[in-house]
Amino acid sequence: MEVKERLKEALSDLAREGGVTYADVRYLERETESITVRNEEVAGLSRTESRGYGIRVLYRGSWGFAASSDLSPEGVRETARKALTIAKASYLTQREPVVLDDTPPQVGAYRSPMEEDPFAVSLDEKLEPLFSAVRILRKDKRIQRAEAEMNIFRTRKLFLSTEGADIEQEIVESGAGIEALAVEGREVQRRSFPTSFSGDYAARGYEFIRGLGLAENAERIREEAIALLSADPCPAGEYDLILAGDQLALQVHESCGHPTELDRVLGTEISYAGGSFLTLDKLGKYRYGSEIVNIVADATIPGSIGSFGYDDEGVPAQRSYLVQEGILVGYLTSRETAPVIGQRSNGCMRAESWYHIPLIRMVNINLEPAPDGPTLDDLIADTKHGILMQTNKSWSIDDLRLNFQFGCEIAWEIKNGKKARLLKNPVYTGITPEFWRSCDAICGESEWKIWGLPNCGKGEPSQTMHVAHGTAPARFRKVRVGSGK
Amino acid sequence: MIGKEDVLKLLKRVLERVPGPTELVLIGGRNELTRYTKSQIHQNVASQDYTVYVKAVDGKRIGVARTNRLDVDAISKAVDKAHGMARHQPENPYFPGLLGPSSYTPSETYFPSTPAFGPERRAEVLKEVFAKAGEHGFEVAGSFSVSEVEIAIANTEGLEAYQPATSAEVGFVVTSKEGMSRADAYSPDVDRIDFMALAERAISRCALDRDRIELPPGEYTVILEPACLAEVMRWLAFTAFGSEAFLSGQSFLAGALGERSMGENITIYDSAWEPGAPGLPFDFEGTPRKEVVLIEKGINRGVVFDRTSAAKAKTEPTGHGGPPGSPWGAIPWNLCMAPGDSTPEDIISSCKRGVLVTHFHYVNGYLDTKRALMTGMTRYGTFLVEEGEITRALANLRWTESMLRAFSNVKAISRDRVAYPLFGIGSVLVPTVMIEGFTFTGVQRE
Repeated sequence: MEVKERLKEALSDLAREGGVTYADVRYLERETESITVRNEEVAGLSRTESRGYGIRVLYRGSWGFAASSDLSPEGVRETARKALTIAKASYLTQREPVVLDDTPPQVGAYRSPMEEDPFAVSLDEKLEPLFSAVRILRKDKRIQRAEAEMNIFRTRKLFLSTEGADIEQEIVESGAGIEALAVEGREVQRRSFPTSFSGDYAARGYEFIRGLGLAENAERIREEAIALLSADPCPAGEYDLILAGDQLALQVHESCGHPTELDRVLGTEISYAGGSFLTLDKLGKYRYGSEIVNIVADATIPGSIGSFGYDDEGVPAQRSYLVQEGILVGYLTSRETAPVIGQRSNGCMRAESWYHIPLIRMVNINLEPAPDGPTLDDLIADTKHGILMQTNKSWSIDDLRLNFQFGCEIAWEIKNGKKARLLKNPVYTGITPEFWRSCDAICGESEWKIWGLPNCGKGEPSQTMHVAHGTAPARFRKVRVGSGK
Repeated sequence: MIGKEDVLKLLKRVLERVPGPTELVLIGGRNELTRYTKSQIHQNVASQDYTVYVKAVDGKRIGVARTNRLDVDAISKAVDKAHGMARHQPENPYFPGLLGPSSYTPSETYFPSTPAFGPERRAEVLKEVFAKAGEHGFEVAGSFSVSEVEIAIANTEGLEAYQPATSAEVGFVVTSKEGMSRADAYSPDVDRIDFMALAERAISRCALDRDRIELPPGEYTVILEPACLAEVMRWLAFTAFGSEAFLSGQSFLAGALGERSMGENITIYDSAWEPGAPGLPFDFEGTPRKEVVLIEKGINRGVVFDRTSAAKAKTEPTGHGGPPGSPWGAIPWNLCMAPGDSTPEDIISSCKRGVLVTHFHYVNGYLDTKRALMTGMTRYGTFLVEEGEITRALANLRWTESMLRAFSNVKAISRDRVAYPLFGIGSVLVPTVMIEGFTFTGVQRE
């Protein structure tokens, strides 16, 4: 491939420059298709193609990065020169040089599993389930906005480095979701399926979207949204709290995934996303959660959107524990940060596009199910007086990932082991380690599911990443809940 | 930069070949960003890219395709794709067709000084700032970015629009062993930013952030510096002042135009012609921007519209349409709160007991959009004010408050306002305010 040879040549030229100890290039081609059906209209429908490359250079231990869509020989040379100029500017302020770990350069290829290419499915066929679901949602006049959304992505990547890495990957991702917005007077309530904010996503083909059951669940979602309009507000106080899997996915994301990103821990996100309370002195000894809490970073699960063959600095996908039996035992790392804790990268460097630099990002960050854990019904039956909350509505957590407040779309009071009255506007708040230490039950394998989140934000310039979280519902004792103010 | 003449020539060459009504929107340019922590640059990036949006029209059906390849053949392929998509869609009864030739009120958005501020010059500024902070035993984190973009629109109805724009953003987060502070500047013209004054402001605030105490949750008088209001306004842009929030009924203005929602001293509007925070003179449909009053002396006056949402609401478009294919509807891009008559210093000295909040963090405005109920944390410096003086540094606090209630209890507003970036192409322009009875619901602790 002509482009590959051109990029290789640019790396060779850089390697010959005095002071350059490392360089890599990522070339990407991405196609996306986004469809939004709102009420009786197609509110958004677009197909996008983008291609380009980013060159990363390490000059005397300082980074430079330049990206361009200009693939001409002169364009590639100019971009490489720009990356080096930038690295030399970075060097002007250097205090500690960057040292990369000794991950061996990889040569290989990866393709995500797919049965039915979503780009080959006709537009009519894709629109049909969205309109079907929306028609069902709209059957009550109080549903003022019924929406169905579908997004598909195909990314082809090439990674080359001056160390000899040569990796090609092709990843196809698909997902969809529906949402009903019920409005009556000053009351607004929202219900979503499979979960909120664009639905559920997987690194699979159109078979994943076919299996979501959007239309099949639309009536239930509509009726729940309508029922919430006249539901009682969630009572305020300390309650035993059961989180459904989709809300627990966000809880894991915000209170474990982000604070275990080692770049945050080391301070490189302090001016934007924030720092972390999980400082280096806590590794291996800090009680993050109760003994039943096991959280793993696993980029090797076939078909999940947190999976890949190699990360965006050429490190093979891996599985490693972050929290084991409640103790902090690991971080999400990169080739630059892993040596700080005496390790090799566990492969978490990811970039949104060719024009973004890779950062440490979540992969699949999973709360493991309890061996022989209960079903959700059993867990409810085992709860005397509590609240069950489902599907995220609002999210906020402090800059060290300690004080959080999450709002959910729907809740039910649990009385004497039974789901009782419906509750609106449920909110719960807490301090991360106190919360996870109060976890006294996690459901078993039969309730465990991976939730794909297509919208994790981090970094400057801001990057949106596709990540995933496997969870089974879990119970937390004496959590502060309420309904906002 | 490609330049007006060449960009429009390219778009018109493509339009000569299109099979039906078509609109082309080109957006792109160059972005550079330098990031630093512990007084050292750790990330330094530059990228250049252009996207051409093709909006194909078949009666009242629309298809959109995007490409980042700029040759006529590649864009023409996207045109074919977009027309193919349009044919397979149901009609959108509200789509009024493409706009014809229009004229625009000029807005000065391009300053050549900004893209000329390259990586070496940014590093030189930062070295000086790092050294200044170092004199106090402090370190500096943050980011410094410059960008130049151009936006061009041409369609088969004869509309042509072009606007170049620049932006410079710099943030200094000064950290000590005990605390941190932040100062930011945003301007289309990098030469208007006084880097050392900004650094000195952050350094002096950082010196105050030590021996933090915890304040119990409850209602307090607060002084919110402009960065706090910028966060709140970003959320209101989506949940209150945009066409989709209004038409779906989520917005507190829906069904309540003409009603009072805030105090008499609050006026909020959208304008592309504010000095220091200029906006684009047209939107992504080529509609001329209008100045739109959203809240006038506390009374709900209106929201912004694109052409389709305006037809649905039986009103006129305001020139706030988003990029083709976006489902978000119209959103205010240059949101301003009208100034008051105080100074930030007067506001602090008039406060008997209150909390000075320099920044909000991780605000979420989805709790109850009809009441503009939001939650968030404080960050980069929270202080207790007693008898008109800053007396103690406080641990970060969680707040949960209806912004309608808060903006009904504003006791003072500063004359000076500060601009912050909004959605990449716009800005918010906001003052310092003092609010009574603001609710804190928690504290940051381990």
